[in-house]
Amino acid sequence: MIKVRKKILLAGLIILMILPGGTSAFTVNSQEFKNVIKQLDMQGHADHEFSTCSIQKVYYDEVIEMLNGGMSEEEIIQSYVNEYGQAALRTPATDKSGWIAWGMPFVGLASGIAIVGVWLRKVKGKATDTFDIAEVKWESETEKEIAEKLFEEERMKHF
Amino acid sequence: MYLIGNITLYLGIVIAAYTIIANVIGIRKQNNKWIESARGGVLSLLFVSLIASFLLLYLLGTSQFQFEYVAAYTSHNLPMVYKLTAFWAGNAGSLLLWTVLLSVYTAMLVFSKEKQNSMMPYVSSILSLNILFFFVVMILGGNPFAMTETIPADGKGLNPMLQHPGMILHPVTLYLGYVGLAVPFAFAIGALILRRMDAEWIKLTRRWTITAWLFLTLGNMIGGWWAYLELGWGGYWAWDPVENASFLPWLTVSAFLHSVMIQERKGMLKTWNISLVILSYLLTLFGTFLVRSGVLTSVHAFGSGPLGTYFLIFMAFMMLFSIYIVISRYQLIKKESIPIESYFSKESSFLLNNLILVAGAFAVFWGTMYPLISESLKGTKINVGAPYFNSVMAPILLLLLLLMAVCPLIAWQKATVDRFLKNAIWPFAVGVLAAIILVVVGVKGTFAIIGLASTVFMFATHVQEFLQGTRARMKATKENIAKAIYKLTRKNQRRYGGYIVHIGIALIAIGVISSHAYPEDILKTVERGENIAIGDYVLTFNGLTEQTENGNGIVTADLKVDYNGKNVGSINPEKIFYETWPEPSTEVAIKTNWKEDLYVVLSSWENSEKITLQVKVNPFVSWIWIGGGIMVFGTAIALIGGRTNSTGLLKAFRAGR
Repeated sequence: MIKVRKKILLAGLIILMILPGGTSAFTVNSQEFKNVIKQLDMQGHADHEFSTCSIQKVYYDEVIEMLNGGMSEEEIIQSYVNEYGQAALRTPATDKSGWIAWGMPFVGLASGIAIVGVWLRKVKGKATDTFDIAEVKWESETEKEIAEKLFEEERMKHF
Repeated sequence: MYLIGNITLYLGIVIAAYTIIANVIGIRKQNNKWIESARGGVLSLLFVSLIASFLLLYLLGTSQFQFEYVAAYTSHNLPMVYKLTAFWAGNAGSLLLWTVLLSVYTAMLVFSKEKQNSMMPYVSSILSLNILFFFVVMILGGNPFAMTETIPADGKGLNPMLQHPGMILHPVTLYLGYVGLAVPFAFAIGALILRRMDAEWIKLTRRWTITAWLFLTLGNMIGGWWAYLELGWGGYWAWDPVENASFLPWLTVSAFLHSVMIQERKGMLKTWNISLVILSYLLTLFGTFLVRSGVLTSVHAFGSGPLGTYFLIFMAFMMLFSIYIVISRYQLIKKESIPIESYFSKESSFLLNNLILVAGAFAVFWGTMYPLISESLKGTKINVGAPYFNSVMAPILLLLLLLMAVCPLIAWQKATVDRFLKNAIWPFAVGVLAAIILVVVGVKGTFAIIGLASTVFMFATHVQEFLQGTRARMKATKENIAKAIYKLTRKNQRRYGGYIVHIGIALIAIGVISSHAYPEDILKTVERGENIAIGDYVLTFNGLTEQTENGNGIVTADLKVDYNGKNVGSINPEKIFYETWPEPSTEVAIKTNWKEDLYVVLSSWENSEKITLQVKVNPFVSWIWIGGGIMVFGTAIALIGGRTNSTGLLKAFRAGR
């Protein structure tokens, strides 16, 4: 338990270093920092709790340093991709190499719309051939009575 | 104890196998004695699974550390409630929970008033096959009654993140949902084997399906609430593979609950409905596989092991079996449907709704599996995290919201544009007005504004539906408004229960969109007496205290909270150091009002005079929990009422009798 407390104290010191200071332009509260950090997978630690995750702290420190060193958000992201590959990020690439990942859900949706469209045309065609509401004629009094009961039942749902 | 526990597991295998065999012989020989005997088998299965469960509860409650499971998940100083909930904290216990719930459901079915239904032996066999599988898996790789080599003086204790009220409800409700989906699956397969392609199986399973959906909703909502309160789960929805696995069947069952209405009314979409039921059931197995296989990294997973392989084999077997049954009966399913009369009808809008829900499920499945797909195809693992799902699912869910806004306004069979526009004009105007107000008050973010305005449009549509129905009742029956609303809902619980569910979804949507688009957060180190200002709040640090409770060290920060210049009390984020756990647990402190949550985390400290806090203001998160409650309430209304619409009369009408 003492070891853990020491770790937390150490974390406090690290945080103090990366929190707003007199000379640093960028801090953990800067929008630029947030924009970068939310894209990084941090070796699978992105969703971990910040106060107990040492890996996150290393990344926080590095990103602040790079921002204050004059690197842009894109340059920082690219530097991580150069070092770790696409696995450095939390999302697949948005260029050609990642189009399958990004595009497939929408291809699925578009295909579904096309299939349903064709199917609807098919069944709608049948409907036009076989069923015309204006031309309904009661073949017997019993049939008419059943239909009227049906309508009455529907109406009674509301009253 | 060891003997009793293991005997119940082996007996479970024998009885489940016997139940299946007795059912098969009974069906083949048309012999009721065998069917009766199989029914007895189901009762015995319930009996042995209950004995096993109570035994495990006893072992956990009395800290019998000679059992591996008890030693791995409990400790002497663990509060009794968490000793008992450790039942489902690990792999073996959760398998037993699944088995006992499935046994309860099966017994309820085979002893229900439908017990003489000719489908029942098939249903009983399919469910018993599932039970058999779970008993076998427990013996092969997840025995909750395995012994330790040496008896430890104390157990390892329960992960602090699991020591939360959510642990009592979340796993059980989610499992009730998962297991419940085996029932409609068993009926669908039973109906197919019997070649009974009418809507009877749907009628018989309607309540089961809604119940399963209700529990899935409840399980996911409680899980979200728990993850929001307990740091380390990644927030109320982190798009973690295991969270996604529970969302997938929820989406497909939601689609089924809508498309089933078309089958009831028009006899259409039989293949589709059967496919959705089969898919939902397979997705529950897929979720169980993900949690136990270790193929994907998740904070919710039980870790890797051979169990994943067993689930994969069983899932593949059930999938092939289902596909064979559907294909062999396909010509039969295709027959007897009444065609759609108009593109512009409620039937068509339900089709579109199904399409979007299933597309959503596909997108979630694709994103969840993509790291594996990319690794096997390209050799490199590509991460697919929350930002991907937020980007992909946002337009799909927006489409769904818009469809929910217009669908209630479209008539069955054949809608007219004039009538639709007349009905849609007010809700649409309210939606547009909401967008204008948001822009005028300075709210930024085009997509969020579109999402919020669409949600208001959807909400207004449902309010209008209630108002129109109530007004019509009041005019016709002279009832007062309260009685008119009550009677309106009572007369068609299925429809208005569904509308209440939609209203709950509208509130959830407002919470999700707002908390994603407009959160504020700050990480700041303060000394005693210093302030942190965020949003309308000012927090003043008053000091850090340390105390010991049940052997655990608790460090608490005391902060005074001012909201809009007025003191609204104090807030106390904590860190707890457990005796039996290496990592401390961070207890978030939350102050909620109707429009936002003040969310404070004690991050670290230098000494009792100087601490670092992470402070967030999350807008409208409480609306998510209220919306979830409304969804559950609406589902309960639909569940209690909900006669199948005029089936008898429709049948008579169609048959020309």
